[in-house]
Amino acid sequence: MKTIMLSAIAAALLHITPTVILVKRQDAVSHLLPGADQFAAREVHVSSADSRRIHDAVGWEPPDGMITFYIGKRQDQVTGALMFMRVDCQHGPLELAVGFDSRGTVRGVEVTKATVEMKPWVLEALRAGLTDAYRGLAVDQPPAGAEKVKPKIGAMPGYMAELIDKGVMHANAAYRLFYVRR
Amino acid sequence: MLYDLRHSDLRVRWLVTLLLATLGTSYLFGAWMVALYAGFSPHKVADTYGPAGEAMMAMQMPPETTVVTERPVSMAEMGEEMHHVDKDLLVQDTHVHMPMYAVIAAGLSLIVLGLPLSRSMGLAIIALLFAAPWLDFAGMWLTKLASPRFAIVTLAGGWAMALGYTIVAVIATYQMWWRKS
Repeated sequence: MKTIMLSAIAAALLHITPTVILVKRQDAVSHLLPGADQFAAREVHVSSADSRRIHDAVGWEPPDGMITFYIGKRQDQVTGALMFMRVDCQHGPLELAVGFDSRGTVRGVEVTKATVEMKPWVLEALRAGLTDAYRGLAVDQPPAGAEKVKPKIGAMPGYMAELIDKGVMHANAAYRLFYVRR
Repeated sequence: MLYDLRHSDLRVRWLVTLLLATLGTSYLFGAWMVALYAGFSPHKVADTYGPAGEAMMAMQMPPETTVVTERPVSMAEMGEEMHHVDKDLLVQDTHVHMPMYAVIAAGLSLIVLGLPLSRSMGLAIIALLFAAPWLDFAGMWLTKLASPRFAIVTLAGGWAMALGYTIVAVIATYQMWWRKS
């Protein structure tokens, strides 16, 4: 009985906390594809060879071999693209919306989802100006938001900033390798 | 019977009743969550746990060359997120849920051991209680790795879980509070 009780307590403590929405996806789309009045989903079914290529580049593969770019258009002119990127860690998943402008640089990054446990850490990193560091970043440049905010924040918010850097790096690689390819 | 719940102290019977009520409530919310995120039909379960949702049903193996398709979407469609569990998330789900399922099955099995049931019936119910989570997760992994047709195994696991709980809850409540002799 004691073992069962200890297992139950351990299982409860190890349970990943529920997901919370920090920014609604629709709001992220409005912020990152401003002015767009038409949208398209560009779905990239990645081959094994290309999956290896992106893995070799950034240590990440698209989940189930699929990447979706949402493209914003105004009067049939592309105004930018956006992708939702999930980053997993032992505390649960984070979801980012990474927007690109029509020149192919990062327009902005929003953290759309986190877990209850991670939310205060993420908010602390965001308040320190983490996402400012990504604006205008070229897709072949490594994101360095965490490096900039780490001196101003605690250890766990610093870790969240590293995860967000990683998500932006994955999105940049996906954009660089697959967005323009038709 | 290793012990007899029918003639146990009132506090023990109260504990078991509250445990069953709490588990029953959590199962109802579990069913609600399944309805929200996965659905109760094999097709919907396959969409959730299959290679990459409905679009990939016909394309389980990676294509030889990267294929790009484009379709118009509305703002609302971009906001709607189809709950799709990819391999990494399924690893996490399995890690998080299997221990808790084991504890629940063990708790219900301890109740079964205190009920006046034949040895074979006790073994069968305990087997059902532990088979349910195994079927549930085996179905999810097989749907992902082998074929969307295995979604039926996950559904069988879910129904087996409900059946196991119902059998234990009904027999235990009846034996503890009504049929005491």
